[in-house]
Amino acid sequence: MVLGAVFFSVNQANISNARLHIEEALQITANTFAKTLEDRESILTDKVRLLSGDFAFKSAFATRDKVTILSALENHRQRVGANIMALISMDGTTIADTLHPDNVNASPALNDLIRLAMSSERGEASAIQIIDKLAYQMVVVPLFTPDPSALILIGFVINDELALSLREFTHSDVSLLYRNEQKPWQIISSTLGAELKMQLSQEFTRDAMASGQVFDLDFRGESYLTRALDVQEGGLGDGVAILQRSLDAALAPYLRLRVLMLALFGIGLVLSIGGAAIIARGLSSPIELLVKTTKRIEEGDYSEGVRIDRKDEIGTLARSVNSMVKGLAERDKVQSLLGKVISREVADELLSRKIELGGEEREVTVLFSDVRNFTSLCELHSPHEILDLLNRYLTRMSASVERYDGIVDKYIGDAIMALFGAPVSQENSPQNALACAMEMLSGLKDLNGTLMEEGQDPLAIGIGINTGKMVAGNMGSVKRLNYTVIGDGVNLASRLEGLTKRYGVEIIVSQSTRDQCEGVNFRELDLVRVKGKDDPVAIYEPLPPAEAQPDSRMALLAVYHEAIGFYRSRKWDQAENHFKRLISEDTDKKIYALYLTRIAEFRRNPPPPDWDNVFVFKEK
Amino acid sequence: MNLTTSGISTICILLLSLQGPGASAETLKATVSESGKGQLVNAVVYAIPTAGLSDIEKSAGNKIIDQIDKEFVPSVSVFQTGVNVEFPNHDNVRHHVYSFSPAKTFEIPLYKGIPAESVSFDQPGVVNLGCNIHDWMSAHVFVTDTPYFGVSDVEGNVVLHDLPNGAYNVYVWHPQQSVATESTAQLIVLEDGDVPNLIFSVQEKKQWVPFRAPTRAAGSYR
Repeated sequence: MVLGAVFFSVNQANISNARLHIEEALQITANTFAKTLEDRESILTDKVRLLSGDFAFKSAFATRDKVTILSALENHRQRVGANIMALISMDGTTIADTLHPDNVNASPALNDLIRLAMSSERGEASAIQIIDKLAYQMVVVPLFTPDPSALILIGFVINDELALSLREFTHSDVSLLYRNEQKPWQIISSTLGAELKMQLSQEFTRDAMASGQVFDLDFRGESYLTRALDVQEGGLGDGVAILQRSLDAALAPYLRLRVLMLALFGIGLVLSIGGAAIIARGLSSPIELLVKTTKRIEEGDYSEGVRIDRKDEIGTLARSVNSMVKGLAERDKVQSLLGKVISREVADELLSRKIELGGEEREVTVLFSDVRNFTSLCELHSPHEILDLLNRYLTRMSASVERYDGIVDKYIGDAIMALFGAPVSQENSPQNALACAMEMLSGLKDLNGTLMEEGQDPLAIGIGINTGKMVAGNMGSVKRLNYTVIGDGVNLASRLEGLTKRYGVEIIVSQSTRDQCEGVNFRELDLVRVKGKDDPVAIYEPLPPAEAQPDSRMALLAVYHEAIGFYRSRKWDQAENHFKRLISEDTDKKIYALYLTRIAEFRRNPPPPDWDNVFVFKEK
Repeated sequence: MNLTTSGISTICILLLSLQGPGASAETLKATVSESGKGQLVNAVVYAIPTAGLSDIEKSAGNKIIDQIDKEFVPSVSVFQTGVNVEFPNHDNVRHHVYSFSPAKTFEIPLYKGIPAESVSFDQPGVVNLGCNIHDWMSAHVFVTDTPYFGVSDVEGNVVLHDLPNGAYNVYVWHPQQSVATESTAQLIVLEDGDVPNLIFSVQEKKQWVPFRAPTRAAGSYR
C-alpha cells in the first residue's frame, strides 16, 4: 500500500516534472526561434543594405539599363548567398527580378511586401512570403541615390534546414507553418517526417492552438507537448511555428528507472522472503535440536550435547547448553560416585551444602557390625576370594542399612559403621537401627545359605548399637575430609559390638537405645563400665517378640532375669542354681557359663560392699 | 496623388497690380508653408514670364555649394541654366560628390579642397547631389531657365528681385513636394511699386533618409 502510494506519487511527480521541463524547453525553443528569425532578418537587411549603399550598383541603376541592373543584382545575390533579389521602382513596377529575369511582374506576394515597405517609416519591411510555391524570408530596403529612388528586395529560401539547425540547438522538433488568405496551412520548414508533417498540417488549427499555449498532441501513439508561436500575422499571411517535444522521450530515462525500480523491488521482495525463510529455517532447526536436547537432559540423559557449530547467538546458546550438559553429567557422575563411596544421604548433604569443616551435636544411633574370626578366615582364603566374599557380604549388609534410612559411615575392613539420624535427623533412629540389625541377621542367614551351597563356611557377625549425643560433621583436613560422627557414643557402640562375642549374642544395644525401643523384647545382659565412663551401663540383647516365641523360651527368660536378680543381690547359691538350670535347658549356654564363672570368682573374692553390680573385665 | 483629389493645396494669389513687364524693376514676395503645418524652409519659388524666356540670357556665372561638416551647404540651391558650380570641400575628409539625376549626371571622385573643375548645370531640372562616402549627405539643385527665383528662409519667406513689370507664372518647388511643380503655378502681373506677396502651401511626401553616422566613435552605423 505504502509502496504503491509512494510509487504513484513519484510517478506523478516525475511526469509533471518532465512536462515542466518540456514546457521550459519549448519556451526556450520559442525564444530561440523568434531570435533566429530576427537574426536572419537582420543579416538579410545588412546584406541588402550593402547593395543599397553600393556606389557601383547606384551607377548601374543610374544607367536605367535593365539588363545591367539585373546583372548587378544577380552578382550581388551570388555574393551574399541569397536566393532572390529584385529591384522595384518607387511607383511599384518591377525593374529587375533575379527569379524572373524575363521581367514578368513579380508575384502578388511581393507587391504586398512592397506596399508594406512604402507605407513604413523607413521604407523597410520583411516577411515570410511564398513565391512560386517556395517560402522565402524577404527583406526590403530603399535604394538611396541619395534620395530613395527604388526598393531592393532580397530573400532567402526557408526549408527544412532552418528547422533542423534549430533542433540542433534546442533538441525540439520545429515546424514552420504558413498560409495566406485562409488557404490551407502549408508546412514550409520542419524536422518532422513526411507522415507527421501531414498529420500536423491536418490537425493544426489556429483556434485550437493559441500562441504561447502548450498542448498535448498524439503522434503515432507518442505524446508530444506542442507549443505554437505566431511569427507573422496580417496581410502578408500568417506564420506559426510549432515546437514539439516528445513527453515519452523525456520520460524515457525515468521509465527505464521505473522498470529498474520495479525489478529491484521485485528482487528485493523475493530476496527478503527467501532470506526470512532461510533465517527462520536456520533458526528453527537448531532450536528444535536444542529443545530435543533439553528434553533429553530433563529425562536425565546427558550422553550427548547439541552439535551446532555456529558463530551467532544460537551457537552461543548451543555451547551454553553443551557446557550445562557437561556440568550436569559431571555432577551426576560425582553424585553417583559419592553415593558409592559414601552414602547417598551424605553425598546429597555434601552436594547440597557448602562443605566446610566442623560439626553439630545431635542425637545419633550408631551401629557397628563385625565378622567374627575374619582374620582366621583370611588365612584360609586368597585375598581375591576374601575380597569377593567381603563385597558380597558388605553389599548385603549395606542394603539393610539403606533400607532403614541409615548411612554407611565407613567400612573398616570387614566392619561396618552405620549411622541413623545423621546427617538427616530421625526421630526413630534407635528403632531403625535395631530393625536394621535384625534384618542384617536375616540377610546374613540367606547369605550363609548361599555360601554353604557354594561349599564355603558361613559367616558370623556381631552388632553393637548405641544411641546418644554425638558430634556429626566434616572432619579431617581442609583438602580431604569425611563426614562422620565422633564421641563416646561411637566408642560405646564399637565396644558393644566387641562384647557380643563375650556374651555369645549377635546384637548388643545400650541402655539409651533400649529405652527408645518400646515394645521390643529385650534381655538384659549385664551392667558394664565402659572405659572412660564412671557410670555403669546396662546392655541388652534384643529378642524376637514375645508372641513369636514359644512359651518355654519366655519361661527361660523369666528364669534368667530371676537369676540376674539373685546374682546382683549376691545370692550366689540361688543364682548358681538358676544358671545351672538354664545352661541345661537352654541352647544359648555362653552367657550362663559366664555368670557361673563370675559366681565362682565372687565366692573366692567377694565383691566390695559398695559393689555396683558391674563386673570389670580385665582385658578389653 | 494629385491636387484635385487631395484637396489640400490651396493657392492664394493676391493680385495687387496687373501690368506688362516694363523697364522698371519690381519685387515679388512669397511666403511658403507646409500644408497643415508651419513655414517651409528651403522651398524654391521661381517666376516665368508669361511672355517666355527666349530673350533672356543664360547665366554664365559661377556658384558654390560647400561641403561643411559632412553636409552640403546649402542643401537646396536654385540656379539658372548654364551656371558653373564649384564644390569646395571644407572638411578634412575626402568627399565623392555625385549625381545620377537625368538633369545632370556627374561625379567628382574623392577630393579634398576645391576641385580643379567646376560643374556646369546646363539642363533645367532637379539635380540630387550625394556623396559616395557619406550616404546621408544629400543636396538638391533646382536648375531653371528663368533668372527669377529664390529660396525660402526659415520663416518661409522668399523675395524675388529685379523683375520687369509684366505677367508671370510663379511656381514653388520643394524636394519632398508630393505634386509636380508645374501644378503650383500662380499667375501674377507686376506693376510699378507693387510688392505682391504670394502665399504657397506645399504638401510634402514622406521621405526616407539614411541614418547619419554618429559623430562620436561609440554606437553603430546602420
